[in-house]
Amino acid sequence: MGVMQPSAFEQILITTKVEKVMNWSRATSVWPVTFGLACCAIEMMAAGASRFDFDRFGAGIFRATPRQADLMIIAGTVTYKMAPVIKTLYDQMPEPKWVIAMGSCATAGGPFDSYHTIQGVDKIIPVDVFIPGCPPRPESLIYGFMKLQDKIMTSSLADRYKDIFEEVG
Amino acid sequence: MTEPIIPQAPEVPEAPAGPYVYDYAASPQRQVVMPKTVPLPSYRTYLAEVKAAAEADEAKWKKMQADYETAKAKAEADGKDAPKPPVRPVPRKDDNDLKTPWPQEAKDADLLLLQELLGAKVQEIFEQAGELTCQIEKGALHEALLLCRDREDLHYEMLADQSATHYPAASDFAYSVVYHLTSISRRKRLRLRILVPEGFVPESACSVYPSANWMEREIFDMLGIAFANHPDMTRILCPDDWEGHALRKDYPVVGWGQRDIAFREDRGGMIERIALQKAGQLGINLKQPKAD
Repeated sequence: MGVMQPSAFEQILITTKVEKVMNWSRATSVWPVTFGLACCAIEMMAAGASRFDFDRFGAGIFRATPRQADLMIIAGTVTYKMAPVIKTLYDQMPEPKWVIAMGSCATAGGPFDSYHTIQGVDKIIPVDVFIPGCPPRPESLIYGFMKLQDKIMTSSLADRYKDIFEEVG
Repeated sequence: MTEPIIPQAPEVPEAPAGPYVYDYAASPQRQVVMPKTVPLPSYRTYLAEVKAAAEADEAKWKKMQADYETAKAKAEADGKDAPKPPVRPVPRKDDNDLKTPWPQEAKDADLLLLQELLGAKVQEIFEQAGELTCQIEKGALHEALLLCRDREDLHYEMLADQSATHYPAASDFAYSVVYHLTSISRRKRLRLRILVPEGFVPESACSVYPSANWMEREIFDMLGIAFANHPDMTRILCPDDWEGHALRKDYPVVGWGQRDIAFREDRGGMIERIALQKAGQLGINLKQPKAD
């Protein structure tokens, strides 16, 4: 005796924070844009196909429009001609939105230290996760995506707009 | 009275000399090395090179003989033994089977026919590795293309490729523009070539071969050769506001400085608007009242 038995009410009820539920729902249903730039896109397709099955993490629904997507995987070399297009697509995505820079080209220009390549996509849009590799294997992409899930789970609304809160006052 | 204290100048730290310090100024991709030769394939140039090499060899042999004669006369005068007579060096036997095929005299009927039809407008015809090349005067290009397309015994239906090369070391021209014609019915290929100086505007081949449209735009984009009477003479690969032409030899690999793209800032004020909206929903007033 002396041990408190949970009541029937407590057995059917889970208490949590609204923010945690929101983050959980966001992290487990991240829909990427159908958007590939170069050879990294092939690895991205492999990650989405049955062998690696990106859909286990809720990210297998590649949307054909940025307006229905949460995640943009920059898979490939970003040229100066493509940069305004990427920026437009990013602007068209609804908040909250995340970006993964996949491969060495998207993270730092890769081997193309040249006149036509942007040395890292973070010069035009904010990037959440950088994945090294040339190209990264699907396992790397999945690991990077799990890192993004961790980031989403630990994020809060105040963190996301922290810079602007401080700037505005 | 004491000596005034002069402060010591701070020591300038030397640049770290580690293996991971990248010297951007000395990077080979930022250097421009202008070529000193004109590697334009040509039978006439090849003949001239062969002749010059033979003459140099002969002059060297003559000099060796003359040196031997003077040494012999000097030895005789001094009463010493005569020196060894020189041996003419034999060219080393070359067993390498990966040779560059040299240009050869044109024997193909198409080339000879073109030369007969165009006369003095044909500057040079030759064959190299079984490929036919006909260099024509830059003004007679349209005539040659029409001949190649329409004549029954030539009948090159397709312009398979068109490209250009920059030769900054050449004195009388700057670019070569090359037209690769293919005859599907006769299973033959022909290369027409014109040499154009800087600033020359060649006639577009679009009216004869419509496939020249994008290829001429690419040549314009990469080398800056504008074509006359082209339907849309704009850049095709680089952005429209690009400076310079990337395949010219005086263009560095990284371009004229990496361009800064400033897209990161909140141009439309969208992020700030959303932040204010979200904060308002949470009951926070982010807009500070003004001091006045």
